[in-house]
Amino acid sequence: MLREQPVTALELSAIRERELLPLLRSLDGLDLSQFDYISIHAPSSFSAENEGWIFGELYKCLHRGWPVVVHPDTLYDRSLWRLFGKLLCIENMDKRKGVGRTVGELNYLFTEFPEASFCLDMGHARQVDTSMTEAYRMLKHFRSRLRQVHISEVNTQNKHDHLSFVSILGFQEVTPMIPSSTPIIIESVVPEHQIGAEICRVQRALHAPAEQVEAS
Amino acid sequence: MGEPSYPTLELSRRIGVQWPNIESTRELSGRKIGELKQLLLDLDSDDTSIVVQGSLGRGEFTNDSDIDWFLLVDGIADPHHHDVFLEADKRIIAPPVGRERIFATLVSSHDLIHNVGGDDDTNNNLTRRLLLLLESTPLTGVITHERVVKNILKRYLLEDRSFWRVDGPHIPHFLLNDFARLWRTMAVDFAYKLRARSGEKWAIRNVKLRMSRKLLYVAGLLACFHPHLLLDDPEERKRVYEEQSFQPEIIDIFHSIFSDNPLDIVATFLNKLGDDATVSQVFRAYDKFLGVLLDPKQRRHLEELPEAAADSDPIYQEARKTSHRFRDGLLDLFFGEKLYSLTRLYGVF
Repeated sequence: MLREQPVTALELSAIRERELLPLLRSLDGLDLSQFDYISIHAPSSFSAENEGWIFGELYKCLHRGWPVVVHPDTLYDRSLWRLFGKLLCIENMDKRKGVGRTVGELNYLFTEFPEASFCLDMGHARQVDTSMTEAYRMLKHFRSRLRQVHISEVNTQNKHDHLSFVSILGFQEVTPMIPSSTPIIIESVVPEHQIGAEICRVQRALHAPAEQVEAS
Repeated sequence: MGEPSYPTLELSRRIGVQWPNIESTRELSGRKIGELKQLLLDLDSDDTSIVVQGSLGRGEFTNDSDIDWFLLVDGIADPHHHDVFLEADKRIIAPPVGRERIFATLVSSHDLIHNVGGDDDTNNNLTRRLLLLLESTPLTGVITHERVVKNILKRYLLEDRSFWRVDGPHIPHFLLNDFARLWRTMAVDFAYKLRARSGEKWAIRNVKLRMSRKLLYVAGLLACFHPHLLLDDPEERKRVYEEQSFQPEIIDIFHSIFSDNPLDIVATFLNKLGDDATVSQVFRAYDKFLGVLLDPKQRRHLEELPEAAADSDPIYQEARKTSHRFRDGLLDLFFGEKLYSLTRLYGVF
């Protein structure tokens, strides 16, 4: 699906718990040579009882050196997840969650996980604060931890959607603060034939003057 | 639990005085807000916030205070929001606030954010919007409350062309003009209510206008002067204002200022700008005013005092003198050495 696209960063996602084992078992058979950067997204929701085996399976991938992106509300036994060290990549949350939504809430987490890196989810940050001030604050406070960026529009039903005109305008207000070498992971859910168009929209969001992209 | 700490208390400790009524109302407010938060806990949702304004929002609650509140909606409109409002109303058991009950209602963020100025910016909308900045506390939905406040600030600060002029004084005129509009509106509405309500509660309204309403304007004015005072060096100021990242930064700075209540905003500035005599005069007068509101006898007396009897009424006359001391202290502050030029240029015409 991505072979024809100018894409060099990939996040292998097991958002649903049931997707984790099939994904991990398929890793050795995947041709990932196209990608300069790879991360793996842990399931976004699971119970404390299942934490042990999920952690164990992910920990087996440690030797690959891929960051493991986690939702902070799934970190029950913190001593376990600290074992990932710098490869633990904590993502900011959408407005439904009670943790990790703001700089204040993330600060607490990074105190608990001092080595952890940061995945800025622009869609979540914009949903929490459409003024984009919170996204700005996250970039200001956690820039040195920034490992990757998630981008998509998080709609009112909390679903990841394609970027709209208004979300592009919002993102443009803070994207100049993102170092150009930061891997950008597009989380927009679009039909296959719209992948190219969505990449263009993301480029527009990342490079403030939209007309430059349109002209190229 | 540790010792309480807030700018007004820190200021009183620094100059070695006590303002017991300020401390009492602050404590009562904290307790009441804690109780209400517990009562409303299960009414929390992603896109609503139950917000208190008025004396409770300012941290000046007394046992006889009304509870001015509204349900702020920042999301998809849902008929069930009305049920949330009714349920919250039942739990808060707010006595009717004024005859219009303007604060016990359901408010959409769209009007607050989009209708700044113009025909659709009604008296209520203006008041709600600016009191949301100056004296609001969320009982539920902290994230929603913050989002709406920041978006209102974004409109005032980023759409103000003169604020961003490289050679400008960096005074947010758009915001400052609206604070002035709010203050004058409250003053005009005092006369309106006097007529509409045949003088009912004239004296207490008069004293509140001279004190707590004026305090709101003072806090707003000082906040608007802050960006200019923040960076003394014109070269440094120029460099900072040219950086694009300063736009969200300034929203964050103002959000942080308005996270404090008006008395604390004034205390923070007076700590830097006022001499001890001015500080003492302003806060002693305010403390005395709160003492009147805390005393049920004096409060009821002022609530029932007819306008015709005011000139010879010792309680009203004392309250009036207190308001003059408050005013004179503020005049010393705003026309003192540090704020004179800003007040002359932006506080008069």
